[in-house]
Amino acid sequence: MAEQPWTERFRPRTLREVVGNEEAKDRFLEWLRSWEDGIPEKRAVLLYGPPGVGKTSLVVAAANDLGYDLLEVNASDYRTAKRLKEILGRASTQQVTVTGRRRLILIDELEGLSGREDRGGVEAILDLIRETRAPIILVATVYTSLREAWERKLRELMKLSLPIELRPIPVVEVIERLREIASRVGVEVEEEVLEELAIRSEGDLRTAINDLEAVARGRRRITLQDLEALGLRDRQLYAEEALRRLFTAKTLQEAKGIISSTQLNYDELIDWIYENIPYILDDPRELSEALEALARADIHKARAERSQAYRLLKYMFDELAGGVALSLERSQGLLGVVERHLRAMGIPLSLLKLEERPEGVSIAPVRYLGGDTWRRVNMAVRSLGGSWDREGRRWIVGYLRPPRIALRYWWSREKRRMLKSISSKVASRMHISTSRAVRDVIPILKVIFQSDPEMAEGIAEWMELDGDEVKWLSKG
Amino acid sequence: MSSEMWVEKYRPKSLDEMINQEEIVARLKRFVEERNLPHLLFVGPAGVGKTTAILALAHDLYGPDYRNYIMELNASDERGINVIREKVKFFARTAPIGDVPFKILIMDEADSLTADAQHALRRTMERYTRTCRFCLIGNYSERIIEPIQSRCSIFRFSPLSEEDVKRCLRMIAEKEGVEVSPEGYDAIYEESRGDLRKAINLLQAAAAASGRRVDADVVYAVLGRVSPGRVREMIQLSLKGEFIEARELLRSLLIDEGMAAEDILRMIYSEIMRLDIPERLKVRLSDAIGEVDYRLTQGSRPEIQLSALLAKLVLVGEEMRGGGAALD
Repeated sequence: MAEQPWTERFRPRTLREVVGNEEAKDRFLEWLRSWEDGIPEKRAVLLYGPPGVGKTSLVVAAANDLGYDLLEVNASDYRTAKRLKEILGRASTQQVTVTGRRRLILIDELEGLSGREDRGGVEAILDLIRETRAPIILVATVYTSLREAWERKLRELMKLSLPIELRPIPVVEVIERLREIASRVGVEVEEEVLEELAIRSEGDLRTAINDLEAVARGRRRITLQDLEALGLRDRQLYAEEALRRLFTAKTLQEAKGIISSTQLNYDELIDWIYENIPYILDDPRELSEALEALARADIHKARAERSQAYRLLKYMFDELAGGVALSLERSQGLLGVVERHLRAMGIPLSLLKLEERPEGVSIAPVRYLGGDTWRRVNMAVRSLGGSWDREGRRWIVGYLRPPRIALRYWWSREKRRMLKSISSKVASRMHISTSRAVRDVIPILKVIFQSDPEMAEGIAEWMELDGDEVKWLSKG
Repeated sequence: MSSEMWVEKYRPKSLDEMINQEEIVARLKRFVEERNLPHLLFVGPAGVGKTTAILALAHDLYGPDYRNYIMELNASDERGINVIREKVKFFARTAPIGDVPFKILIMDEADSLTADAQHALRRTMERYTRTCRFCLIGNYSERIIEPIQSRCSIFRFSPLSEEDVKRCLRMIAEKEGVEVSPEGYDAIYEESRGDLRKAINLLQAAAAASGRRVDADVVYAVLGRVSPGRVREMIQLSLKGEFIEARELLRSLLIDEGMAAEDILRMIYSEIMRLDIPERLKVRLSDAIGEVDYRLTQGSRPEIQLSALLAKLVLVGEEMRGGGAALD
């Protein structure tokens, strides 16, 4: 038997395995269950959303779990009303199949219906919905940028059915799923690789799984180098180029041009800017204004995504271009940031020669510093992300640093497991939620475990903490 | 020797032991006498005895093995209303044996459920009314849909008075052999206000950290190791103009501690209100915090929003040192 692609091989069989979109899942199931009490008001559900978020998977898994016989057609395969009615007409008048199983009708790839010649197809589907005695599920892949046009086209369908939107899968959940698949196929994958694949997929689980399969081909172990070999790491160069040009732009128009021509997506661009702003703007007012502009850009972006009104993105452009890029007037750039930082650390600038070089700001001792002072300067430089260049006998602080914001999505597996298991033990014994346990109780436990072994021992026993958990709480 | 967290060890077991919320306790006792119960909705801030009250009621109603008759769910920990419904179904499918014909389902943080989920919950409540009473617990009654409110007896819990909190702390300190100075009590109350759970946890951590001799310094030292203290440090760094360090601390709170942005924001707010800065700046900052709070609900990225707020604090610090007008 030919090997199935991983996206098929690991398609969820049960609802439990369907990743993300809990709320939408609940609404869908509620609708499907309502058929048990007779034919509901809305006889069809329209599941729509970007590619790879689990629309078809949700239907297949629900049919499996709830014991439905799934009759699946592709809308675009039956472009005429007549053909659709032939195929589905009879099925839709019967609630159960000959084998006595309840029937579920899935009309997939609804987006394939387009233009005037498919008008009949839409009409036929509308008729089907009005008359059906079996639940009908319409599935449409809607690229968010095309959503408005698409909604106009399918207005009647949206009205007659219960529209449920599926959204991109959160990065953490993509990582989780990729990890699970990797372990099932027995490939060892570095966490950073999973993270990178997940972030790059932008919530499209299918793409992420396909990418994973592509890099895994012929390998037992995947490292970040393997990924780079596949050309997925050009982003850094794009970002450096874009930021350098952005912060030297003189007009709004120029800045907007730079933003719209970069190869980075908006999230990446915002991440890079966010990471680097405090190293570029040392003037407090300019720093504050630029960060506020960035925060506003981010909110415009979030609004555009939430409301699916993509025209709102142009305000994000303006904030990024005008608010962030053009904020640099008084600030001295990285040189100013370094000076300010060293001074704040109590290091006399007379000991050092600071200058801008192509690779970054160079900090060279003007005379022998002595071990203590050297260490103090070294610490101050390192907290700016710089390091000692042994050959050049000076420190270098690079102009740009890659965003670490990605870390937010990713905790070491160990740490997440630990926090999860301790917090659920705390939650059940102290009658609180796990998030409150993380917030209010675990810090208290750490203090106790780090200072009073006797009390800690008693609590450990009461909470049935295992040795690793005790160790984790006890270390600083 | 196994020993509980003090919060649990000294949690009142019976309604008779509850030291506050007298009116509520009196009404709940009547339910116990009548051996009947409506659906209940308990609302009020954290740490004022909502969960304690329903557990104590169950204890008084069913006796010492009351745990067999109740189920506790926390809405914010359950994966969707369907999971909740399945659990309720399983729990409520049979009537209990004994003279009380119903079980009690306790749903904490019910106000974190979406309106849709609450509607589904209401249908479930109705379906199992014969065998199961629901006690929904939350912070705000406005976040509970009207159809649920109208089916429940609503009990509004108020924050504990300073006197009640200190009385309770004193009782525990005495039993646990902890010496606490008056300033120590003040510091604990100052931090926890009317939230008794927080106050007792803090007392326990302070006792552990000091060999059971607690004064104000010990309390502050402990606070420096738990989140409110670190938030304070982050604010101080910002005011001193150390934005990069402040942002590192923010990241550590978000990433290492796994704290929610909303919680950090709440702490920033209460810290700012306690800061020794001109009142008009407090108002401006409150406005800025309110804006961030709203933006968090709009799906923007928490770290960026919180950082922008820290940068505003940098500006305030600058003004305080005489570097021009801030926040105009």
